[in-house]
Amino acid sequence: MRRVVESDVCIVGSGISAAMVADRLARTTNASVVVVEAGDESVPLSQRAATRTRFLRYGENPWLGDHLDGYEVEGPLQSRSMQVGGMAMHWGGVTPRFSPEDFRHKSLYGIGTDWPISYDDLQPFYQEAEEVMGVAGEQGPRDMDPRSKPFPMPPLPLTYNLELLKKWASSAGIAMWSQPSAKNSIAYGGRAQCCRNDTCSPVCPVGAKYSPDFTWNALRKTNKVRIVPRMLVRKLVLDSTGKQITHAIAVDRDRPATPVEYRAKLFVVAAGYTWSAHLLLLSAQSGAENGLANRSGLVGKYLAGHRNVGAYVDLPLRLYPGINEQHSLVSKQFMRHKAGGPFVRHDLRVWESSVGKTPRLADDSGALMLGDAILDDWRKRTKTGTARVRAYYDIIPDRASELTLDPARKNEWGDPLPKLVFRDAPESVALRAQTEDSIKAVFANMAKAGNGTVLRTSVDNFQDHPAGGCRMGADPASSVVDSWGRAHDHENLFVVGAPTCVTGSCANATLTFCALSLRSAHEMERGLPRKA
Amino acid sequence: MPTLSRRTFLASLASTVPLAVVVRRAHAAAIVHLTSEPATLDALAEAVLPSALGRAGITNAAAAFREWGAGYREGAEVNHGYGTSRLRSLGPTPLTKWTTQLDDLDARAQAKHQRNFRDLPVADRVALVRAVLEGQRVDRMPGIADASHVSLALLAHFYDSSAANDLCYEAKIGKATCRPLAESSRKPLPMLKVSER
Repeated sequence: MRRVVESDVCIVGSGISAAMVADRLARTTNASVVVVEAGDESVPLSQRAATRTRFLRYGENPWLGDHLDGYEVEGPLQSRSMQVGGMAMHWGGVTPRFSPEDFRHKSLYGIGTDWPISYDDLQPFYQEAEEVMGVAGEQGPRDMDPRSKPFPMPPLPLTYNLELLKKWASSAGIAMWSQPSAKNSIAYGGRAQCCRNDTCSPVCPVGAKYSPDFTWNALRKTNKVRIVPRMLVRKLVLDSTGKQITHAIAVDRDRPATPVEYRAKLFVVAAGYTWSAHLLLLSAQSGAENGLANRSGLVGKYLAGHRNVGAYVDLPLRLYPGINEQHSLVSKQFMRHKAGGPFVRHDLRVWESSVGKTPRLADDSGALMLGDAILDDWRKRTKTGTARVRAYYDIIPDRASELTLDPARKNEWGDPLPKLVFRDAPESVALRAQTEDSIKAVFANMAKAGNGTVLRTSVDNFQDHPAGGCRMGADPASSVVDSWGRAHDHENLFVVGAPTCVTGSCANATLTFCALSLRSAHEMERGLPRKA
Repeated sequence: MPTLSRRTFLASLASTVPLAVVVRRAHAAAIVHLTSEPATLDALAEAVLPSALGRAGITNAAAAFREWGAGYREGAEVNHGYGTSRLRSLGPTPLTKWTTQLDDLDARAQAKHQRNFRDLPVADRVALVRAVLEGQRVDRMPGIADASHVSLALLAHFYDSSAANDLCYEAKIGKATCRPLAESSRKPLPMLKVSER
């Protein structure tokens, strides 16, 4: 026995990219859309204040049951989270755009690979994504921060602390402004204004931060999209020509004995950088022995991201940590590589911080303090303030930065789990020390300008905001999908969002994943019944 | 009928029921102990928390600590961060250890001063706590549940609070509470001292 479900469009995954596609198709087409999600329903908004309280008190996971058991994978998985809404249920809501240079590394600097699209191609979809989610932002200097339309919402106000820190950055010659964020600076989209609960990541208790469940809830109300949680797609199946996907085979986690087939005209893999490539590789079959969409052999290759260099700077400023710690200043000043020198690009952000200023139990001599002594000591040490500074820098991804199937680890249905390895391309390896030294010099210069001291510096050992694995390109020999996300090898298969990225830029990437997904949805519309 | 000591009670439980049940019951018994006999914990709070809190503030801090303990769920899944697929869960309940340590403070008070801990002057209570902590490596505030002693757990709990942050900065910051967004641009208002309230 098997169950068969038919629709015009079958979307695999229900994260933020899936939400963008489904929302667009529901607005512009009459297509029937089914969204298949392996994880459970996410905790509803009405319960998030309670789960947040337990997170704050005990560190508990505010997203109860947001993962599948037995999915301990080898390598730096970005998150274990698997639920309706995906990882964007607990993202920080930070939404910078990539810069125009991001799409033209090869032609501008002779390094890496150009994207098959430009910033101008993506700009309308950035705007659309910002309007769908609700982004509050401040226009930066136009040469660094080009926009054709204003942000949908006014910026989140700079806090008292950030105003002081902005002046400090300015004294070091760095222009900074309010970080664009998918957080409501005013009521927007039927959701509340931000009230600084300051736990945006992992959980906003009032719904002021956009998360995909809001889109799903709205679509469900109008019966425009059917979402099926707890349904793990294990394989996509080709027709005899090898050009078309006919159906997806899934396992219902509640009734695993009865396989389920999802038949559709169009299949959209929207399962993030890990599970998208993983599904394509799992779908190896006659005519696609190395996996779907993999004639190039590049499915799972060129995993991309950026590396974080951070520091804490002690400044002679009276700051008040806790006003709104998750909001920050941003600058794109260093995202424009200066011609002539070695390739160095990075963003720059500044936050209030309490690092180095937290209460302690022993004084400088190591003697135990109790009672008033602890508070007195704390007060003395907070006469000055701490700024957190952080830069993400570009990494050119290597082909061997890859996701493969791990023969040693399988899920409970016998499918191999993914194995992840991130590697810098040789040119990035060669530039690494210089890049990090350059960033540390920026931090040192900032500290000096404010008569401050760098307390400590750190470099992450993993790549943040991972993407890639199904990179886009014009040439089927060197890419998996075209610029619209359509698989070169299969006419009715799209891969959307993070996996299609060519590079990871040096800024948070979620807004770009959303813009790319919306651009893909525009292309999908062409083959679907349009609304009158 | 002779009173059954908690230790004896727990030992008798362990001999008859599964470990998980024993742990749950021990946690429940510790909650009862903390809530029905609050005086020792209150006295400890007065000894180790800052006097700037005032008597009511100290009582509230101790009550919040008791509430924290009562709400602890051994084995609950911890928030999983980024960059790893590893899941973690909360460790064993600290409450049973804390109640034993509070009893120990009483026993030490009896041995040295022939009085309960709660009846000692603050200075003597502080001295007893210092004696207990002597030799321990104490530096940063520990995680509440990881603290080696109930006094340190109490301190860690209080100093992690929004109230403590406000007390330090003597300003109404209200860390991690719902506050008007528009007010974030303003310097936080000063806090009234206890004597001015």
